[in-house]
Amino acid sequence: MKIIGLVIAVLSGALLMYATVDFPAWGDPASPASTYLSPHFIEKSMEETSVPNIVTAVLADYRGYDTMYETTVIFSAGLACFILLRVFLREEPGERLYRHVLTGVTVRVEGAKLPLSDDFERIDAMWTPPDLIIKTVCRLLIPFIQLFALYVIAHGHHSPGGGFQGGVILGASIIVLAMSQDLRTAVRRMREKLDAILCAIGVLIYAGAGALCLLLGLNFLDYGALTPVLHCDAITARSHGILIVEIGVGVAVMCTMIWIYCNLSSMGKYDEGL
Amino acid sequence: MSQQYAALLVVVPLLSALVISIAGLVNKRLCFPIAVAALGVAAYSCIGLLLRVLNEGVIVYKLGGWDPPMGIAYYVDHLNGLVLAVVSVVAFLNLIASKKSIELEMPDKMGAFYALYVLQVTGLLGIVVTGDAFNLYVLLEITALTGYGMLAMGEDRACLSTLNYLYMGTIGACFYLLGVGYLYIVTGSLNMVDIAHLLPPLYQSKAVLAAFIICLVGVWLKMAFFPLHAWLPNAYTHGPSAASSLIAPLVTKVMVYVMIRLILTVFTPDFAFTMLNISEPIVWLAVIAIVMGAILALAQRDLKKMLTYIIVAEVGYMVGGAWLGNRDGMTGAILHILNDALMTLCAFLVVGNIVYKLKGYAFDDLKGLFRKMPFTMGAFVVGALSIIGVPPTCGFFSKWYLISGAIQAGQYGFMVALIFSSLVNVVLFFRIIEIGFFEPFSDHHGHDHHTEEPMAEAPLTMLVPLFIVAAGLVVVGLYTGDIVNYIIRFAVPKGLI
Repeated sequence: MKIIGLVIAVLSGALLMYATVDFPAWGDPASPASTYLSPHFIEKSMEETSVPNIVTAVLADYRGYDTMYETTVIFSAGLACFILLRVFLREEPGERLYRHVLTGVTVRVEGAKLPLSDDFERIDAMWTPPDLIIKTVCRLLIPFIQLFALYVIAHGHHSPGGGFQGGVILGASIIVLAMSQDLRTAVRRMREKLDAILCAIGVLIYAGAGALCLLLGLNFLDYGALTPVLHCDAITARSHGILIVEIGVGVAVMCTMIWIYCNLSSMGKYDEGL
Repeated sequence: MSQQYAALLVVVPLLSALVISIAGLVNKRLCFPIAVAALGVAAYSCIGLLLRVLNEGVIVYKLGGWDPPMGIAYYVDHLNGLVLAVVSVVAFLNLIASKKSIELEMPDKMGAFYALYVLQVTGLLGIVVTGDAFNLYVLLEITALTGYGMLAMGEDRACLSTLNYLYMGTIGACFYLLGVGYLYIVTGSLNMVDIAHLLPPLYQSKAVLAAFIICLVGVWLKMAFFPLHAWLPNAYTHGPSAASSLIAPLVTKVMVYVMIRLILTVFTPDFAFTMLNISEPIVWLAVIAIVMGAILALAQRDLKKMLTYIIVAEVGYMVGGAWLGNRDGMTGAILHILNDALMTLCAFLVVGNIVYKLKGYAFDDLKGLFRKMPFTMGAFVVGALSIIGVPPTCGFFSKWYLISGAIQAGQYGFMVALIFSSLVNVVLFFRIIEIGFFEPFSDHHGHDHHTEEPMAEAPLTMLVPLFIVAAGLVVVGLYTGDIVNYIIRFAVPKGLI
């Protein structure tokens, strides 16, 4: 079986290599890919969309419809992880774990609850408190990570960046929190329900912006239709439309990252997994 | 509003899927009505769009208002108009029929499941309606991801079989993407019609040949064309009934549509049938697919798995028919997309009803079933007759076109395979009818009950859609002439004789 697999892999590789013979030369300015559509994008994207970053213009406007579905793909991945992994524990049998905050001693209590107090905190599993250095460094870093993420989202029009990248960085900031402190801390800041709802709302912002254009009388995702809402001319409306959908992408990507991380790391139980 | 049908049919399900996933966290009872409304609107738009295409010809819808090679455009012609109507109606009926079994099988996660369901339909409709080769890939991903999520929710072994499906499906999608990448390198365009215009001077290019081959293999993987079918039977058998009765009728058929679209629109029949001399080997592959599918179906001991092998054989029908390279063969293949979607839906809805009542679908569980569930089994007989190909059910007519196409093309092997598989289907289904009709019912503890078994029919919400589908099999059969004359005749290009 292994040999058959190897033979198939070699043959398909050979087919792909064989085809490259007829490819245009590497970086050839006369190749079809650079002479057919690219000149239009390079010359016209500024005057048609008023976005200096051509990549953003193609991604979020000319081919914005693809990008909407890319965001939906990410949302579906989050939803699939949720539906497959999430286990809803009714109430765990009898045993609870508490940690004495000052000494770090873990206490197991059978069949009863400890009264609420500042000395003991409820924990989910036998778990050792994270290192002080890691905790402090991450706590210092997270605000800057998030600030940078917002910059990346907002600056997608002018420089490399945009919703996907910014969303990933934002999501990473919460994941760093979960890893350096514990999942409970991260979930306290980003509740599971809120996260799931925001995830759908992110995609809704994108698709909703498109549907709004449709309601205002132009085609789906034709941001030019947003002129009366945004009080600007059609070209600027396109630029603003791109910003709106980038924000949607950012929210959706951030929440999906967190959603998938929480489900995977705790095997769907939302307690301390790692 | 009718100007916007092409957009509505994907946008409404997409937006509703998002709303459903939110509603699932707030109040689970809201999910089902929203899903029904969304798929209802989608089905309405699809049928409205098909009627418009019949009156006005090809409809182009520019997304974002950009002209086609720059932006993405929808092209709706007779071919995808028909497939759109089929997909949306099948998904709508199955949704209503599956309500009870979804409530039974996954009470905790109904919201997420309905959201995945509606997203899957969005993906399928998007694949069919789009005129952009890359956009098709993105929607393929949505369909695949949601499909994996839904199928893995089934019985214990579902996760493993779905993982297998995931590997194979991902390879298939990657192949397709790679092929599109090759096409983009040599033509610089992603728009299907545009690529077709740019290709003729490049027909001799090795890159175009390679692109065609890898696209085709990728699509074959996705549609489970023998010998690339190994993932399908287990994945579809172990999935929850609501998911398998959505995915089994639609996904393979939509992938057959993609193959036909690639042949007819992107690469054009000139290239596929005349320039390349590969029709004959592919038809022979289809012959093997049909024969092996039929034989493997004979070897099964449970109903659902048997049906999945019949799907493998039916995929062979459609691939073979499309590659006969003549008008009758292509007509048969397109007609069979419609017919097979309905037949498979009918059969899987019956399995859904049986699972709902009996919790099992092995042949032994079916004893005495005609007495216990007479209406379900009545519909099953209609579905079985259609899969066998008995007139006036629709299965007969597509087979008729396929066989006459085979004779015209001189592919007698294909004709023999079609007849052989029909005969095997007779054996398969009459064996089940015999078990259900003559063998006494035995309950799960193994005691034989010789007394009259009380009737325990599935609830009305499951029966009514099943009856509609069963009646549809006969109605479509009776109106085959009209469907071929008014729709499919225009879907097959004039050059194909």
